Amino acid sequence: MEPVVRTERLTKDYGAVLALDALTLDIGPGTTGLVGANGAGKSTFLKILLGLVPATGGRAEVLGHDVATEGAQVRAAVGYLPEHDCLPPDVSASDFVVHLGMMSGLPRVAARERAAEVLRHVGLAEERYRPMGGYSTGMKQKAKLAQALVHDPRLVLLDEPTNGLDPAARDEMLGLVRRIGHDFGIAVIVTSHLLGELERVSDHVVVLDGGTLLRASRTDEFLDATGALLVEVLGDDAQTRMADALAAAGVPVVRRGSLLSVDAADRGPRDVRDVVRDTAAELGLGLVRMQADHRHLEDVFADPSDAAVHDEPGVPRG
Amino acid sequence: MAESTSPRGTDDAGRSVIHDLGYRPYTGPRLGSTAIARSLVLTGFRNAFGLGRSGRSKVLPFLLLGLNLLPALIVAGIMAFVGLDRLPIGYAQYASTTQVLLGVFVASQAPVLFSRDLRHGTIALYLARPLPSAAYAVARWLSLLLATLVFLVLPVVILYAAALLTELDVSDQTREAGVALGLAVLLALSLAGVGGIIASWSTRRGFAVVATIAFLVIANGVVTAVQGIADGEGSTRVAEVAGLFSPYSLYRGLMGAWTDADTLAPPTGAGMVAAYVVVLVGLSAACVGALVARYRREASA
Repeated sequence: MEPVVRTERLTKDYGAVLALDALTLDIGPGTTGLVGANGAGKSTFLKILLGLVPATGGRAEVLGHDVATEGAQVRAAVGYLPEHDCLPPDVSASDFVVHLGMMSGLPRVAARERAAEVLRHVGLAEERYRPMGGYSTGMKQKAKLAQALVHDPRLVLLDEPTNGLDPAARDEMLGLVRRIGHDFGIAVIVTSHLLGELERVSDHVVVLDGGTLLRASRTDEFLDATGALLVEVLGDDAQTRMADALAAAGVPVVRRGSLLSVDAADRGPRDVRDVVRDTAAELGLGLVRMQADHRHLEDVFADPSDAAVHDEPGVPRG
Repeated sequence: MAESTSPRGTDDAGRSVIHDLGYRPYTGPRLGSTAIARSLVLTGFRNAFGLGRSGRSKVLPFLLLGLNLLPALIVAGIMAFVGLDRLPIGYAQYASTTQVLLGVFVASQAPVLFSRDLRHGTIALYLARPLPSAAYAVARWLSLLLATLVFLVLPVVILYAAALLTELDVSDQTREAGVALGLAVLLALSLAGVGGIIASWSTRRGFAVVATIAFLVIANGVVTAVQGIADGEGSTRVAEVAGLFSPYSLYRGLMGAWTDADTLAPPTGAGMVAAYVVVLVGLSAACVGALVARYRREASA
C-alpha cells in the first residue's frame, strides 16, 4: 500500500536543539502511534508534515505531496488536532466546526451537514449548541477532534488527544481514535507519551528518541515478541516446585510476580505446552492458566539495547 | 452500537431510534483558496459587528454605529422638514467630528479579529488549513477595513440621500460625497492597519483597546497642539509637517486640501499633499506587512 507519510533524512535543527536528526521513515495507512518522551520531536514532526515548519534538511511527503512546496494541498487533505487549547470560549461547537469546515474549502451547506455528522460521531449531542467555554476537558477534546474531521481528511494528525482526560473520557477518546482508523477509513497518526494507550489503538508504532528513529514496526510485533508462555499454577508452594520441575525438564523459566514465564521456543520433540501440562499433573498442581505472554510497549524502553537491535518477532529477551 | 444495526425503525419498546449510518465520506466540491479567503473576510466582517457571536458582543459595535449615525439622521430630518440650501456639515467633515466614536470602534473590534485567535490558540487550527498565513493576515485586515468603511461610509450615504431629497445640486453633492468616500477609504486603510497590528501584538483585549485609543487620540492631540503653536508662531511649514504624524491629522489635512472645509494648517502645494497621501497609504501598507510577518512567525513557531 502507498505510504501516507514518507520522509527521507528529515532534519530540523533549531540551532540549540536538534529536534529531528535525519529521520527516514514510511508511515502506511491505518493507525500509527508516534511515541516519544516530551521533547523527542513529535510535535515538530507533525508541524513539518503540515508544511508549517520548514525542515532544515531532507524531505517529507504527505499523501504524495511534498510538504515544502505543496503545503496547501497537504493541509486540505489532512486534519490536525493540536496538543494545546485552541477553542474560542464564546462560540458554540456547532458554529465553530461549520466555520472551520468552510475554512477547509467546504461550501456552507456541505459544511453544515458535515459538522452535524462529525459532532454526532464524536458524541457531542445537545451541548454542541452551547458556548465551548463551559465545556469539560473531555467535551473540548471531542470538539477539537470534530474540527479535525469535518472536511473528511485522508489523514488526521492527533497530538496527544488524551492529554488531561480522566480515565472514562480517555477510554472514550481512544475508542474514537480506533474508529477513525478502522471504521472511517482515515489514516491516523497519533502521538502520546503514554505507551499503554497507543498499544490499544494503533496498528503500527513509531518510537522517536532525541529526534531519531528508535524503532518502527507493527504493534503486534512489539507485543507478541516475547515468544513466552505465562503459566499460573495453584497448590502448596506451587510456583517454586513447578519452576524447579520445569527447569529440570530443560525448560527455562522466569518468575513474574505470581506467574511463571516459560520460554516456549521449540527445543525438542515435545511441545512446551505438553511439558507444562504434564509437569503440573505429575506434581499434583492445579493448572489455572497458560497463555501467550504479551509484552508491553514499555519494555521497548525498559531494555532499549534489545529493542534497537532486534526487530523480528519471536526473539527472546536476554 | 448493537441497537444501531436493528433493521427496524423502532426499538423493542416501540420508540423511534436513530440509525447510525456509519461514517460517510464527503464527495462534494472543495473550494479553492480564493473562496476560502472570501468566506474568512465575510465571517470576520460579521464578527466585527458581533454577528455570529454572543448577544452581548453585538451591543458595543451597534451602539457605536448608532451613535455615529445619529447626527447624520438628525441632519437628514432637519433637511427634510426645514429644507436648507446647503448641508450643515460637510461629508468629509463628518468623520472628523465623530472621530472619537470611530477610534473606539476600531480599537474595540480589532481585538475581535486579531487577538482572539491568538489568545485562544485558534490560530493553530486556521494555519493547519489550506490558506497560507499571509492570506489569513490580509483577510483579517480586510474584514476590519470593511467594518471601518461601513462606519465611515454610512453617514456619507445618509447625508447624500438627504441632500438629493432636498434637491441640492446633484453634481456638486456627488463630487463632494465622492471626495469624502476617497478620504474615508484612506482613513480606513490606516486605521485598520494600526488597530490590527496593535491587537495582534497584545493578545489581551483590554490592553489592545487602550493602546489603540491612546495611539489615535494622543497622537492626534499632540499633533493638534504642535500645529496650533506652530501656526500661531507663523511657521505653517512646521504645522504641515507635524500633520504627518497621526492618522486623524493626515485625514484632516487632506480634507482641508481637497474640500472647502476650514482646518488648521492644511498641506499646501502638490508635494505636501502627495506626502500626506503617501504617509497614509504607506502606514497602512507597513501595518499589513507587519501583520503578514507576525502570522508567518506564528505559523512556524
